[in-house]
Amino acid sequence: MIIDASTYIGHWPFRRLRYNTAEGLVTLMDRNGIDKAVVSSINAVFYKNCQEGNEELVEEIEPYRDRLIPFATLNPKYVAWREDLERCVKDLGMKGLRLYPLYHNYGLLERESRELLSEAAKMRLPIEIPVMLVDPRQRHWMDVDRTLPLNQILETAKRHPENVFIVLNVKDVSPIIEGEQPVPKNVYVEMSRLTAVLTKSIQALISRIGVERVVFGTGMPFHYAKPALLKMEILDIEEEAKEAIYWKNIAKLLGLNVD
Amino acid sequence: MKKIDAHCHVARRSDGSSRGWTNADLVEAADKLGIDKLLCSTPVSGGQPTMDVVRKCNNITYEAMKEYPDKILGYAFVNPGYFTESIEEVERCVKELGMIGIKLYNQYRADEPVVLPLIRKAAEMQIPVLWHAGHPPSPEEALRWGQPRISDGVHIAALARKVPDAILIHGHIGGGGDWEWGIKALRNVPNVYVDTSGSVVDEGMVEMCVKYLGAERVLFATDLSMEAGVGKILGADLTDEERELIFWKNMDRILRRRKV
Repeated sequence: MIIDASTYIGHWPFRRLRYNTAEGLVTLMDRNGIDKAVVSSINAVFYKNCQEGNEELVEEIEPYRDRLIPFATLNPKYVAWREDLERCVKDLGMKGLRLYPLYHNYGLLERESRELLSEAAKMRLPIEIPVMLVDPRQRHWMDVDRTLPLNQILETAKRHPENVFIVLNVKDVSPIIEGEQPVPKNVYVEMSRLTAVLTKSIQALISRIGVERVVFGTGMPFHYAKPALLKMEILDIEEEAKEAIYWKNIAKLLGLNVD
Repeated sequence: MKKIDAHCHVARRSDGSSRGWTNADLVEAADKLGIDKLLCSTPVSGGQPTMDVVRKCNNITYEAMKEYPDKILGYAFVNPGYFTESIEEVERCVKELGMIGIKLYNQYRADEPVVLPLIRKAAEMQIPVLWHAGHPPSPEEALRWGQPRISDGVHIAALARKVPDAILIHGHIGGGGDWEWGIKALRNVPNVYVDTSGSVVDEGMVEMCVKYLGAERVLFATDLSMEAGVGKILGADLTDEERELIFWKNMDRILRRRKV
């Protein structure tokens, strides 16, 4: 069993993506032996009214609801997000949130974020935060010019112990590995951009926060799935620990019964 | 399938410091990933290194070659600003130390006349020149990177047209710069190859290289992003023939062209 914690569908305005429909994503999943995937809408990142992106997402993945697990994109600084949150969870069956503070121009430590996190905690919704969507070194001139600092997520997690945070698409985990402060226990990390050889950042991460807080992801269709799968394949840890990363950890966070 | 990593580095940096792992770790990683040969260099990534520094860099590479003679091959790193001396250092590295090509960094841009004597020498010897390359979002960003003279595809194409018998490699198309820019810029210069190394694993990148340049001009490489390097070639929509060309046959052909 493999569950991918990090996939997307929708239009990316700055480069032609392939396989960026629900059907395309499932094609990639099948090709790579991935059973289920957490998915959100790229369109929702760019619409002022994110909710229309969430609605589109749920309509599009309808034939694949047994494989694709929808996460809502919400902007706590945009009007009526509480109503959108309620609709996403109660009517659309969305299982978590993805937040984009840089694209939506807010800070995770601001009042509106605190309110959204508080509501999400009440609903027991995991929060996924991609530190970037594409590498800012190759960005389009209208795209954001930096990555979200991991320390900002760690500080937010410390202040909101009732929430669960899953960090996506992070390359530099040194604030976690080398930080002097204890890492908040509600922080999970998706491993696709980390390494299994040479610097061995996956192993360092496991040593620091435990294997139960590392989850598998690919970043499809922005990224090829194979690099992440290859890292898992050659990772020098017990098979049981690999199972935890491949699916058990995220299944537990999502309350999935997949045994 | 056999694999030749066209762009890699050894465990010690140009200043002699460790990257945090050993050459044994590098070889172990290569073995895990099925990489047969690692083409390595020790460049200085900023400023204008003197000949003395350059020779020390190449000696670091040579030590690794001696440590793993069946696995590690070397590129000679030079600063083209030293004209005759840089050519002499290439000759020392290739003829005496058995290195297979030249590695250039960002000391000069590929379209600057200062590089021509060195590139003409490389063409005469028919050895490849691997160029650290990338297209930053803006000149200001290049300055922030500390790389105002970084070469991109346009600069390398300009050089390739001036020295059409040179064998040039645009380094790490997945190294962080705008890879679509790099690939498009090189479409009509048949003597330039791209290497696919770097941590960027954008879906469609390798396919675009093949579409615009042909599989014969694409070289597998890691630049130390080992799993990313292998994974993106395995994950790309390619025929087995194309994958084999990229993983090793193209680089093997380049190495066989050497006249030394």
